Order: sequence, then C-alpha cells, then structure tokens
Amino acid sequence: MRRELTLTSEPIDEAAWLAQRPMPAGMGAVVCFLGVVRDTEAGAAIRALEYEAFRKMAEHQFHRLFDEMEKRWPIASVRVVHRLGVVNVSEPSLWVEIVAPHRGEAFAACQWLIDEMKRVVPIWKRPVFQRAGARPRRSRRSA
Amino acid sequence: MRVSVSFFSYFQDLTGCAQTTEALAEGSRLDDLYRRIVGRFPKLAPLEKSTLLAVGVDYQPRDYVLRDGDEVSLFPPVQGG
Repeated sequence: MRRELTLTSEPIDEAAWLAQRPMPAGMGAVVCFLGVVRDTEAGAAIRALEYEAFRKMAEHQFHRLFDEMEKRWPIASVRVVHRLGVVNVSEPSLWVEIVAPHRGEAFAACQWLIDEMKRVVPIWKRPVFQRAGARPRRSRRSA
Repeated sequence: MRVSVSFFSYFQDLTGCAQTTEALAEGSRLDDLYRRIVGRFPKLAPLEKSTLLAVGVDYQPRDYVLRDGDEVSLFPPVQGG
C-alpha cells in the first residue's frame, strides 16, 4: 500500500494533490474527504482554528494507523494532508484520499482512519475568535 | 534516574512550562511520575481522567516501568481534523 502523510502550515492545494493521484491497475474506487473549518466553536463565532501537533508522535501514530488499514482492507493508496498553524474559516484543515478496488472498503477505510486519527494522533486546535479579547473556554499555547 | 516531561496544548498554560525533568527511583512507574507531576502542577489534577500519557512516540499504561532518559509527554484529548 502506498502511503503519504503531509503535516503542513501551507494551504491544501486540492488540485495539485488530485493531479498526482496514483491509480494502479485493478482499482475502481477513490474516496476523498475534506475537513473544513466551521465558522463557530462552542457556539461562538470564530475566524480561524490554530492547529498544534506533537509532530514526531503524530507522524508515528498516523503510520501505525496506516499499518492497521493495510491489514484490514485491500487499499492501494492512502494520502493524508493535515494543516498546522492558523487555518481560516471555510479553508480545509484535513484532506484524505483512499484508493481501493471497491467503494465499500474505500468508504470504510476513510471513515475508520479519521475516527482513529481523532482518537490517537496528537494534534490539537484552538479557536481564534472574531471579537478582539474573546477567549476560548480554555486558553492554550502552541508548543 | 531522570526523565524529561513535555506538556502539549493547554497543559502548557496550566503548568506554565513546555518541559521539565524529574528524578525518580529506579523501577518507578509512569503513574509514580504522574503523581509527582500533579503534585508540582496541581491544576492538572482535575483533568486526570482525560489526560493522555506517552513515552517517546507511543501511548503507555500507568504501570509502564520507566527507564533513565525516557521522554514522557502529558497532554489533553487530541482534536485533529
């Protein structure tokens, strides 16, 4: 299984990623997921989310998940891009692409990967509020 | 033995630092270190049930036996995506 993980402070260029899509023989399904920053957090209007990662551990945990995916489903390729730093409202913070023989395993693997990411990959987010002086419920600081 | 302890996300605000070190007796477990840390930084105590503990780049249970030079991390639930 081909795997590619990118943790980046740069905007996610979907077109560029799609142009590089691997499509080995026998593959019939591609599932792409885009996670986008919503305009509210805990009921308050925000202008962005600021993402922070324990990068070394995040990379390790993602690759553990990729290992497990490979055991569970006949996937040809998984590519993940996760933004770090400030991501404005309506911008994507996460892009996931799964290439598999059939849609069933592609959808299942994509759902599973994102669920597990939210459980074990050490990435955190902090709301950046629109109103000057507004504070999140719990203040955080980037490492 | 000595181990390093790193804090991530808002745990840095609660402790006022990103990293510290602790001297522990040989054979100490991760929970022994956690108790020591909470003693030094009591603002972490109410968050015990949700606190995640890692040694190096892997999560470890509270009964994990620490070794000299281990790099321990404490952080709140993760929120990627």
